[in-house]
Order: sequence, then C-alpha cells, then structure tokens
Amino acid sequence: MLETVNLTKTYKDKKAVDGIDIYLDKGESVGLLGPNGAGKSTTISMISSLLKPTSGDVRLNGESKIKDPSEIRRVLGVVPQEIALYEELSAYENLKFFGKIYKVKKDVLENRMQEVLEMVGLKERQKELVKTFSGGMKRRVNIAAALLHQPEILILDEPTVGIDPQSRNHILETVRKLNEEHGTTILYTSHYMEEVEQLCNRVYIMDHGKIVASGSKNELLSILSSEDTIQVQLSKTSDAIIEKVKGMEHVRRVDETSDGIRIISKKGSNILSDLVHVIENENSQISHFQVEIPSLEDVFLHLTGKTLRD
Amino acid sequence: MYPVFMAQWMKDKRKPLTILLFIGLSILATVIFGDNTQYSQTTVAVFSTESNAQEIEEKWVELLNEDSHIEFVITDEEKARSDVSEGRREVAILLMERDYRLITASDMPNIQLVEQEVQKVFTKEARLEAVTSIEDTSELREEVDDYMENPPIKVETQSLTGGEIPQHNMGMQLLFTFTLFVAMFTIGFKVNGINSDKISGIWNRLILSPVSKTSIYAGHLLYSFFVGFFQMVIVFLIFQYVMGYDIGNLQMIIVITAVYTLSTVSMAMLIAGVAKTPEKFNMIYPSIVPIIPVISGAYMPPGTISNSILQFIGNLFPLSHALDAMMSVALYDAQWNDFALPISLMLLIGVVSMGVGINMVERVKG
Repeated sequence: MLETVNLTKTYKDKKAVDGIDIYLDKGESVGLLGPNGAGKSTTISMISSLLKPTSGDVRLNGESKIKDPSEIRRVLGVVPQEIALYEELSAYENLKFFGKIYKVKKDVLENRMQEVLEMVGLKERQKELVKTFSGGMKRRVNIAAALLHQPEILILDEPTVGIDPQSRNHILETVRKLNEEHGTTILYTSHYMEEVEQLCNRVYIMDHGKIVASGSKNELLSILSSEDTIQVQLSKTSDAIIEKVKGMEHVRRVDETSDGIRIISKKGSNILSDLVHVIENENSQISHFQVEIPSLEDVFLHLTGKTLRD
Repeated sequence: MYPVFMAQWMKDKRKPLTILLFIGLSILATVIFGDNTQYSQTTVAVFSTESNAQEIEEKWVELLNEDSHIEFVITDEEKARSDVSEGRREVAILLMERDYRLITASDMPNIQLVEQEVQKVFTKEARLEAVTSIEDTSELREEVDDYMENPPIKVETQSLTGGEIPQHNMGMQLLFTFTLFVAMFTIGFKVNGINSDKISGIWNRLILSPVSKTSIYAGHLLYSFFVGFFQMVIVFLIFQYVMGYDIGNLQMIIVITAVYTLSTVSMAMLIAGVAKTPEKFNMIYPSIVPIIPVISGAYMPPGTISNSILQFIGNLFPLSHALDAMMSVALYDAQWNDFALPISLMLLIGVVSMGVGINMVERVKG
C-alpha cells in the first residue's frame, strides 16, 4: 500500500535518513523503533510529504507521490509528536476546526466528531478548554484530530511521550481498535519497546538514519536465537572482571549493569564454572544469576549497542 | 481560509481584554498628550536676571506677544523657577539682552513649540539689528511697518478650498500618532500567530489538509488586518462622534486606515520572517515599534527632524506616510488625489515587505 524506496534526507553534509526502504501493507500495524536522533521523525515527515526527500521515493499503491502529494495527504492521518492544538479552544472547537480544514461535510462532521471523541474517551469533556486538560488528555485530542477525515493510514509519532499510565493505556487501546476493528493501517513510532511489541505485527529498527533490522517480533528475536543473555548480580564489579569475562571462551559481549554484568554468550555454552572462577579470583561474589529469554530490547541493544532511551 | 480566520476569532473571543485595552490606551494617550487645548492656551513665564532686567523683560515680552498664540507673562525669577521644578509649568524663559535660555524639567512636545516661537522672534530681531547696525531697532521697525501698510506687491496665501490656511494642530497629530502606533502592536501580535502555529505543529496539520497554503496565510493575515483596522476605526469614531474632535472626511480617513493596516500587516510579516519563532518575535517587534514614531517625527511638529538619514529611515515605515495623509485630510481638507502619494508609498512598502516576509517564513523549514 505505502512504501519508501531508498529514501534519503541530507542536511548540509549530514545524512539524517540514509536510504531507507520500508513498506506498509493494507491493514498492517507497523512499528518504527529507534533512539533519539535515529531519524524517525524525519522519515515520517518525508512519508507524509511535509519534507521533501533529498533522494528516493515515496509510493502509494505503486505510484510515486513526491511530485503530487495530494493523494497521499488525503489517505494519511498524522498524529504529531507535539500537541498541535489551539489550547485556548475547547476539544470540541478544535475538532470542528480541523474537521472544516479537512473539508469533512457539514452534515457528517458533527457525528464524526462525536465518534472520535467517544473513541478517545473524551466525549463527556468535549466542551472544556484544551489548556485545562492533562498531558494525556491533550494527546488523546491530538489523536482525535487526525481521525476526523477517516484516514486509511494513521501515522503516530511517539504519541505516548510523557503521559500518565491511564491515558497511555487508553491510547494504546484506541490504536489497537483502529487497526483491528476499523482496518486502519498503522505506522507507530515509539521509544517504548513494550508498546510496539503489544501493537505491531512488524517492526523496523532505525539507528543513525538507517534501518538496521526489520521483521516480525519472532523474526527479530531469532537474531538472538544463537545467543544466551545472562544477568549476573555481583557483590563488587570492576574493569578487571569485565575484561577477564570478555576474554572467556564463547562470550560475545559483556555490559556493565547497575548491580553487576550482562553477558551475551553462545547459546548452550556452559560458562558458569569458568565465570565463578574468574569472579572469585577478582575478590567478588555472585549473589544472583539468571539466563534471560531475549526481548526486542535485547535485539535493539545487540544491533545498536544502546538502549532505546539513550 | 474561512476556518483559519474563524479559529483566530474564536481564540480572541475568549479574551477580548487585550483589544479593548489597546482601544482604551489609544484614547487615553491622545487625551493625556494630545489635547489640543493645551496648545492654544499655553502661558509661559519670562524673566531676566540682567542689571536692566525690567527694560529687557518689557522689550521682549512686547515682541514675543506680538504675533503668537502663546501668552508670555513677566514673572518673578524665583516663582518662575519653582513653578517649573515643581511641575506646575512645563517651561519658563530666561531673557537676556540678545539671547534666551529655556528653563525646563521635561521634554514634552509643547516645549518645542514654545522654543520655535521664541527662536523665531529672536532671529527676526537679530536680523533687524544686523541691517541697522545699531541696538535700537524701533525706528527701522516703524519704518518697515509703515512701508508694509501699502506694499508694492502683496502675496496672499490661501488654502486649497480658498479659506485661511489652518494652523498645524499638534493635538490632532498626536491623536493619529497614538492610534496608529498602538494598532501596530495589535497587528503584530496577531501576525505572530503564524509563527506560533508553525512551532506548535498546527501549521503542519494545515499543510497536510486539502486547504492551500495561500488560504492558510490569507486566513491569518486577513484576521490580523481586520482586528487592527477595527481597533483604529473604533478609536476614530469615538473621537469624531463622542469626544467632539473634527478628524475630517471620515471616508477618506477610513481608506487611509485600511491601506496603513495592510502595510503594517506586511511589515509585521517581514519581522515574523526574520524572527522565525514567536518568542523572538515578541522580543524584536516591541523593541522596534516604539522607535518608529520617534524616527518618523510623529511626536514632534513637522520639520523638527531635519536629518536626511533619519528622514529616509522614517519613510521606510508606513506610519509617517499614513500620518501625512491623515493630517492633510483632517487639517487641509485634502482631496483623494492629494494623498495618492502617501497611499502609493504605503502600498509599495506593503507589497515588498509581504513578499520578503512570506519568503523568509517559508525558509524556516529549509
């Protein structure tokens, strides 16, 4: 349905987005994961035609939409990262304004407004000024404004940043319903791995403007299928311990954690006896030991060398 | 365009206090600084401290009062000085044999008018002395006066409509100045809505909608125009019909107001383009605007600013042209073609500023 081909954006000499290829099939829910500065928002801006790519293409149903983005704008609903609302107006007035801007027919608009307000759980408070709302409620109105014209594809740019758990759950539930019950295609960017795991069928992982991995959750987890992640809680951690563990056979990576170390080793390799020996030699003791089942967070860490919140 | 216009209106409808405050401010400033009765009833104390003080005082008071709407009164030095220092009078004059000094504690426009009057008399007297080469010019003065009873050539000056040329009315000038000046703030803060929308992300939402970019700009700018225009027209109507001022042909004043508003909206757009963010605009715009009437000479009698560089800079802003056109309508009963030049200049400023301003605003996103 929607795809990007070798999409690139260069600012002076710096490539913010470097030749990315992503696609969204009709009815899919796709996650775009990446740390700050990975190029997610720039990618979204290019897909939604707000920003002209330096090179590459954005295609809707196989047709390039770079020169004439009117059709792509018609089928897209974009929920920006910032609260793009008039805070001096009520939720109702904001939606009425955006409905008129999107040329929703007068006789349809009122019903449609009530529908989206119901969807985001703000029907009872529609007459209140947006400036009196909590951060979470503002974000819900922000989403509602993008739904008025019944877009086929909804792009959400980190819609749950800095909000309370209740609003967050409400937003996730709204997005899930839109995808599952209304068949809306979703492109969801987030810092929060668990949100993407919960909502998306497929995930793209971005770092430094490039797609470093993509696939379904199981496909991504299989990247780590040849490895074990071992959490070791220590009475004392030192550089010497880390260096010696790194030098052990079958160990591929060692990271320091708040209370010990995390080891990524070859799957099935028995490193425990050697590990105990190394740690005791450095006058430390193991207080807790756990072999973890890998998560997407581990995949992300493995691919980018940093956590999503870095 | 209509929804954008209406959204701005809905926002302001919730807090109309700003506009009401600006309307009140225009009227208050004019009443305080521009009441024209001040200028027709001014009495100025004069005194001398020379050894022949009485002789000097009598000589100059007679000459000063000869042809002036200001009344010069001989006063005791101590009283004249205390009146000024305690704010009862704006100015007193210390007279000397061939010179004078202004005693003042402020810099009100009225003082410049007084100085103009006094300087005119002293200059004339100095010329007469230069011609006769003696101190007593009374004989020559009488001779000239007799001669002027039946001059060989008589030049009569009339206004365009045939009547007497009206005197410059500083109160009227300040009425227009304050109204136009305060409206600059209203217009500027409305135009800044474009920068606010850009920063908040609303602009991007509008761009993604089927509404054209031209319509989005038109909605914002038209609203800024209407608010500024409405504010000025209300103030003029209050002056004309409530406070009893005669501001001339109201139709013409309204047309000049409309062109001035258009030009000021464009100027604000240019500054919005330079500032790029609402915060910077709120810093730059209120810093520039108060300088404009000063450079344009709007607080001073015509001709006070003679520096050609300042005059050039003043002419780059619409205020001086609007003031010129409004004064010609209010005081000299000017006809449409009489103020075509200032109208054209304001339109030119408007077109250039709008073109450059929109271009600069559009460059924000790179």
